[in-house]
Amino acid sequence: MSARISFLKNPDPCNHLSDYKLRYGTDGYKSFQKLFRCFNDGRTKIKPQEIEIPRCSYCSVYHRRLYICLICRSISCSSHILSHTQSNKGHDIAIDVERSELYCCSCIDQVYDPEFDEVVVSKQLIGLCMSVKSGADVVAVRSNKKRRLDSQLIIGSKFLVSSRDRREKWSFPLGLRGLNNLGSTCFMNAVLQALVHAPPLRNFWLSGQHNRDLCPRRSMGLLCLPCDLDLIFSAMFSGDRTPYSPAHLLYSWWKHSTNLATYEQQDSHEFFISLLDCIHENEGKSKCLYKDHEECQCITHRAFSGLLRSDVTCSTCGSTSTTYDPFIDISLTLDSAKGLSPADCRKNRNSGEPSVNAPMPTLSGCLDFFTRPEKLGPDQKLNCQSCGEKRESSKQMSIRRLPLLLCLHVKRFEHSLTRKTSRKIDSYLQYPFRLNMSPYLSSSIIGKRFGNRIFAFDGEGEYDGSSSSSSSAEFEIFAVVTHSGMMASGHYVTYLRLKGLWYRCDDAWINEVEEEVVRGCECYMLFYAQERVIQKAHKELSYQVISMADAFPFADC
Amino acid sequence: MKHSVNRPTTPDEDVADAYEKDELTLRESINTKMVESGEKENLMELVRDRLVECGWKDEMRIACREHVKKKGRKDVTVDELIRVITPKGRASVPDSVKEELLNRIQNFIVSAAP
Repeated sequence: MSARISFLKNPDPCNHLSDYKLRYGTDGYKSFQKLFRCFNDGRTKIKPQEIEIPRCSYCSVYHRRLYICLICRSISCSSHILSHTQSNKGHDIAIDVERSELYCCSCIDQVYDPEFDEVVVSKQLIGLCMSVKSGADVVAVRSNKKRRLDSQLIIGSKFLVSSRDRREKWSFPLGLRGLNNLGSTCFMNAVLQALVHAPPLRNFWLSGQHNRDLCPRRSMGLLCLPCDLDLIFSAMFSGDRTPYSPAHLLYSWWKHSTNLATYEQQDSHEFFISLLDCIHENEGKSKCLYKDHEECQCITHRAFSGLLRSDVTCSTCGSTSTTYDPFIDISLTLDSAKGLSPADCRKNRNSGEPSVNAPMPTLSGCLDFFTRPEKLGPDQKLNCQSCGEKRESSKQMSIRRLPLLLCLHVKRFEHSLTRKTSRKIDSYLQYPFRLNMSPYLSSSIIGKRFGNRIFAFDGEGEYDGSSSSSSSAEFEIFAVVTHSGMMASGHYVTYLRLKGLWYRCDDAWINEVEEEVVRGCECYMLFYAQERVIQKAHKELSYQVISMADAFPFADC
Repeated sequence: MKHSVNRPTTPDEDVADAYEKDELTLRESINTKMVESGEKENLMELVRDRLVECGWKDEMRIACREHVKKKGRKDVTVDELIRVITPKGRASVPDSVKEELLNRIQNFIVSAAP
């Protein structure tokens, strides 16, 4: 790592370049700005005015490496540039016409100056702003293709302001910033990282829809969690990469939920639920007007809220009563004995996995288990409406409406009331990066149960028609909160997926990781977003990207 | 088009300079047409993409790194790297890439002919 950083350090300028800059400053660079012509893939050429094809002024050759003198703007090819310098004293520095890079004719080598690069990049930025409308798709496609390079070379607008910390995490996408641990607060940091990078939440706060300077609660001197989150969003996307301390938020949260105000490690899932509740309380009261059946329009519920359907069937008369309940997240039971359906075992065997003896728990197994018909025990008899008596019955859950962001919580902490003990289940859970939720929708679950009869779909059909079900059932992962260690003394780490690359956020430390690391982690909370949400966010991010792949050809060595 | 594969490798710049004068003007007028029509940019992009796809670029990168390692990081110039790598680079461009490029150029000339 250290070797890499020292490699990325700007090389010292040669004496000739220092002399040139001492005499002319950066005005010479700026005078060339008009001549730069930028291409979609980030290359920049020099296009002298009124000359279609640049040629060497000595031999009029056009297909060699050509250089344009910074002083007199005459063009020379690689074999005549030396004689140009020798006959004109002080004309040492030239620009490579094809690549817009500095060349010292006396050293016979490429030279580097961040201030020159700034001039080139600012021209690229201007070009990008102008072409966003017409060439947006081209930019998106290009940056997709080169995204690995791009993401290592992302340069936000900060690049223009200062080149101070280009070495330090300069390659990470904007918004990636470590969070300091304020004393066993990794449970909070882990959840915050996931929330800050959830596209709908990010857009909500960054577009100023809850502005802490305009918030009525705050002006009345009341604590307001959405304001604290606004502060966190500003800090995360400020471009500063030094770790941030979310102390305000911790304090507000303590005030909101006094029973959790301790220095002890908390459960990050509980924190997640409690934080979203607080946001709903603060946001919901100021913004939404409840009508009878309309749902809350606060950001929490717009992003995370879905609807569960539960069908309770009387095992005596067969009549079914259906209830709908909103949900913010789904908790899944992780139990390798019960969690696996026979179908999953078969799947594993077919794919020839070596671990046939102990089949691996999968997320689809957990979801199957969640939506299976469950026989309620004799102690849970329910009053059947058609029999008018308490009867044994079976219950089945399904998802009536999917949320924009799907939070799946894996129950790794098991509390046994009878034995008064708690234990952690640390078995591995296999989960996909792309998740199709359509098998768990009410329409498919009920359809499977009753066959494709129309009567069973009371009300399900209209839902399907209204929101083109199959496309919105496709989810993509964007964050994973993991828990490692023991029940009482563990550590939470979040993996974030931005523009197809994974980043590990461990309190103050952030680094890029390979997919395999994420697949092998002990996942505790999985954050999925609807595919179109991710795609939209991806496009939005692409606009900030300038490909510098060719300007710094050795940057990824 | 198969015979194109057996052509001698692209002539070096110096060899090209020694060509007949009228040959040069033909080359030049084709070049002008290509630049004007934007086809040259397209072809350059095509070649760049193909060379990345077939691993040529990675190969060259490795060759460059080896050379830099051998000589020591402080004592290498870009010009020297170009001098050392260019022959290897020219020799290892896959025939399929050359063939595709040649086809494109031929098509362009045919379509641009008055």
